Amino acid sequence: MSRKTALLVLPGLAFLAAGFLVPAVAMLVAPPGEEPTAVLARLGEMLTDPYEWRIIGRTVTLGLIVTALCVGLGFPIAYLLARSRGTWGGVLLALAIFPLLLSNVVRTFGWLVLLGANGAIGRLLTSTGLTDDPPQMLYTPLAIVLGLTQLFLPLAIISCYSAVAQVDPGLDDAARGLGASRTRAFWSVVVPLSGPGIVVAATLVFAGSVTAYTTPYLLGGSSQRMLATQLFSYASVSVDWAAASATALIMTILVFAVSAISSPAGRRGATS
Amino acid sequence: MKRPVAATLAVLGYIIMIGPILFVVATAFSAGRTLRFPPEGFSLRWFEAAVTYDPFMESLVASLWLALGATVLALLLGVPATIAIHRGRIPGRGLLEGLFLSPLIVPELVVGLALYQQLMIGLGLDNLSTLLLGHTALLLPYAVRVTGASLALADPAVEEAARGLGAGPVRAFFTVTLPLLRPGIFSAALLGFVTSFNNVPLSLLLQDREFRTLPVTMLDYVQQSYNPRIAAMATLILAATVVVAVIAERTVGFAKIFGGINR
Repeated sequence: MSRKTALLVLPGLAFLAAGFLVPAVAMLVAPPGEEPTAVLARLGEMLTDPYEWRIIGRTVTLGLIVTALCVGLGFPIAYLLARSRGTWGGVLLALAIFPLLLSNVVRTFGWLVLLGANGAIGRLLTSTGLTDDPPQMLYTPLAIVLGLTQLFLPLAIISCYSAVAQVDPGLDDAARGLGASRTRAFWSVVVPLSGPGIVVAATLVFAGSVTAYTTPYLLGGSSQRMLATQLFSYASVSVDWAAASATALIMTILVFAVSAISSPAGRRGATS
Repeated sequence: MKRPVAATLAVLGYIIMIGPILFVVATAFSAGRTLRFPPEGFSLRWFEAAVTYDPFMESLVASLWLALGATVLALLLGVPATIAIHRGRIPGRGLLEGLFLSPLIVPELVVGLALYQQLMIGLGLDNLSTLLLGHTALLLPYAVRVTGASLALADPAVEEAARGLGAGPVRAFFTVTLPLLRPGIFSAALLGFVTSFNNVPLSLLLQDREFRTLPVTMLDYVQQSYNPRIAAMATLILAATVVVAVIAERTVGFAKIFGGINR
């Protein structure tokens, strides 16, 4: 029976090859109407072009800031949720997970209402007399950082939550019984034991941030291009297949590199 | 609260996560002409404007069909593959599972570009088929990972017992194993449907005048006109998502569904 059972994998595998693997590889060696070496040649050009480096730099920098914010805010939330009991804990946990079901488009629209030229924050600043001329907030790196943090915070919370929930609360009590302060117990017991969860959270958030499209498109506009919005522009506006494929390659390498660096750290914790 | 720093950070986090969504909902009930806060007056006119706006409704129907089709296809392909990976004697199981999870690792916009370039432009496939292919590939990891998690919990001995009692392999599967997998399949279906319905990066390059998905139509709309109709549509999606969340919570449990996909 087992040998026949193994055959059940074939339809899925064939589909995966046709709908994903083959096109993904073909994209790198054979963009429509281009030489097989076109993508690599274009990649070489890009890596000597300061304009491209600004986009790569912006993407990585904003990705790192968003990762720091999501872990910095997500870990305390996960910690409080894991240690809280009763109805409130459940409601707050549901409120943190719920956005994962909700469209990114819907979630990001709110920042337009808040940060736009006629937005709530600008009007608040003028009506309180703090400034007559509210600063430009939309289409800035700040807007992208806020939008991406909103988007990926739930992911950071769940990753940290499953790690913190596995740390026995008795351990913080023990550390405190041995004379550690609450802060010390948190930093030298809870955080290290949740290390792998934090690594997973950071990896997921970073990978998500550097590949996100909707948020940089709506909140960054064309003045704050990131790799994803630049890729779309190459593919649909300038129809430069080699450039689009090369940008896709840069994005993919970035994500794979981060996963490769972080996965030993994440795995070490998972088996211990 | 005895942990002031953690509590302050948590409040800030919840404001960033939830705050902007509340502003969208508030502006949807505005009687005014522009998307602004505080809203001018109260009215439901923009909800009417949203549900009578053809591009929204046509792409809503398109999105629902696409999500349904991709979810069913991903389960039809993914569940047998999962059973083969877990129960069949195959060399390189880890590699196979890795292949099925790979669409999750490659950025979605990159997958979208590959399909657009190679299948639509290169092979001349129409955009509906390409979208269906792409969304199904995107959902396969969910089907394999989530049903795999529940298959790992199902004891193979139960199926062997059914076989020992005279059930054929097909009968044993349908009467014993499949019911055990039901929560996993339900989770995968729900997660897949929502993922496909909300997807932007994969659908973006594959859009067409004839067939485009709702999130892509909404992104386009907000570039052209800046009025509460978009907020009303967003609020309707929010309401529908709340219903989905409640169903998920009542049936399998919210946290469990997302626990399955968390790597």
